[in-house]
Amino acid sequence: MGIPDEGAVEDVTDARGEMDGPAIEVGGLSRSFGPLVALDSVDLTIARGAVFGLLGPNGAGKTTTVRILNGVLDPTSVTKLEVLGHDLRLEAEAVRPQVGVQTDTNLYERLSARENLASFGRLYGMDTPSSRSRADELLEMFGLTGRGGERVERFSKGMKQKLLIARALVAHPRLVYLDEPTAGLDPEASHELMTYITRVSREAHTTFFITSHRLDEMEGVCTGVAVLDGGRIRAAGPPEQVARAAIPRVRVRVTPAAGSPMTAADLSALPGVKDVMGIDGGFAADLVEEGAVPSFVRGVVALPFDLLGVAEEPPTLQEAYLALVGNHRAPAERQAV
Amino acid sequence: MRETFSTAQLVVPLIIVPLVVVVGYPSLFLLALRLTPGSVEGLQGFLSGFPDSAIPAIAHLTSAGRAAYVAVVYLFAGFFLLVPVMVSTVVAANSFAGEKERRTLEGLLYTPVSDSELVVGKISAAFVPTIVFTWGCFAVYTAIVDLLGIPVVGQLFFPTASWWVLMLLLVPAVSLLVISIVVLISAKARGFQEANAIGGSVILPVIGLVAAQASGLMVLSSELIAATALLFALVDAALLYLIVRVFKRSRIVSYLP
Repeated sequence: MGIPDEGAVEDVTDARGEMDGPAIEVGGLSRSFGPLVALDSVDLTIARGAVFGLLGPNGAGKTTTVRILNGVLDPTSVTKLEVLGHDLRLEAEAVRPQVGVQTDTNLYERLSARENLASFGRLYGMDTPSSRSRADELLEMFGLTGRGGERVERFSKGMKQKLLIARALVAHPRLVYLDEPTAGLDPEASHELMTYITRVSREAHTTFFITSHRLDEMEGVCTGVAVLDGGRIRAAGPPEQVARAAIPRVRVRVTPAAGSPMTAADLSALPGVKDVMGIDGGFAADLVEEGAVPSFVRGVVALPFDLLGVAEEPPTLQEAYLALVGNHRAPAERQAV
Repeated sequence: MRETFSTAQLVVPLIIVPLVVVVGYPSLFLLALRLTPGSVEGLQGFLSGFPDSAIPAIAHLTSAGRAAYVAVVYLFAGFFLLVPVMVSTVVAANSFAGEKERRTLEGLLYTPVSDSELVVGKISAAFVPTIVFTWGCFAVYTAIVDLLGIPVVGQLFFPTASWWVLMLLLVPAVSLLVISIVVLISAKARGFQEANAIGGSVILPVIGLVAAQASGLMVLSSELIAATALLFALVDAALLYLIVRVFKRSRIVSYLP
């Protein structure tokens, strides 16, 4: 895929010091479609250079949020709607040139990959030679140079996905929206894309707004997430903070050496232990509080068994997501709108 | 544009209608006149409806020649207008609605292209090919009617001044009106078929009326055709002004899945 080989990343700090404010600041955002409330008083603040993940089941309101944040759909009501320092309701035309969007749309199938990219470059105000050279740069970045002249209709799903992401990057955007960006990508390409996102957000302060169901990937790449369900934000913050708030447990994983006679009862007898479960390769002990961890670890080490490891096992984003979404809707209700 | 013209739905308006109107009708009529000159007798009633002033003084003009002249210059003008109307309806219906159907529209809406650039771009993208195509058909029609008609009429008689005015003024003005209306319908429609059906049902009765009157207009004078074109152009200008003022991309997105 070659994504991390873009070379020097452009510093996009501008003379007006616009890097200071948040990339996105939204307050009281609501949107209804007839009787259906798609978004209900959503508040979001996303720092510049952040990699933000908007998580939620199908029909949660993610697409509606992205459309409103791009000024292509009007909110029903909103108290604040600022993107890159501009009030989107009044200055959408000042925001759009700085934003790249990859959503679940199609490319122009009868055009070549290069033509798809170059034509979008021109729509972003680039002249023909610049748009062509940028198209070639992106084709190389995404490992598509050899196929650049081919019509997109002959491309595989993964290649089209790469091209859609490349199209979002054509005008060196300061804010990039990616909708399920790794859908259709092989694991290697997904990993490279995540590495690229992390690098560009850090080096160029490019802000990424990603919607995805791949919670493990999001946990690894996002500096902040929000869980949207039924049109409302159920939780927001750094992934680990969201996870801990949603799953208020303290769990320590104990891995005894192979053949060790350690039992769950040995661990249950230690102070501060609420519950012990046998898991693959060892035990998971839930403690009554975080303050009980040091004495529990000392107690485990003092037991007469050989150990391979004792480590806290924080709740994952996936666990938190399922708890948050499950708390508000039964699975049967989670359907696309 | 390449995407638009790859659609199979354009076969009827872009191939069959022009073939019938531009090639079929004039060829069959002129060949029939040449092969069975007696058949003109059946057209006397029709021909007598045209004033003498409608037919130029051509030496040794036979009844068959007169019938050929009237059909080629006046009668087929109305049919010919169907070409730009059908082509523009179908191409314009494909604009926003076709992109919605192919799921390419949303990507376009996120770009910095302004709302007015979007709608004017879509109108232009339908207008230019419509005019080029119609003029191409006009060239074919000219070649056929001269090739088959000169032996009957006795001299080069086509295109007449009124046909030049028709092609250069009335066709662009009528096409622009059709396209503007259908592009607006297309923006709200869910797909090409819906846009085409609504566009067709709104446009065709109006244009049918214009086409039906075209023969009469052609008989009267080139100036009257030019005046009609001017009237259409004024309506076009007013409509375009309104479209540019009221068109908003957020209204299109409300109709996306």
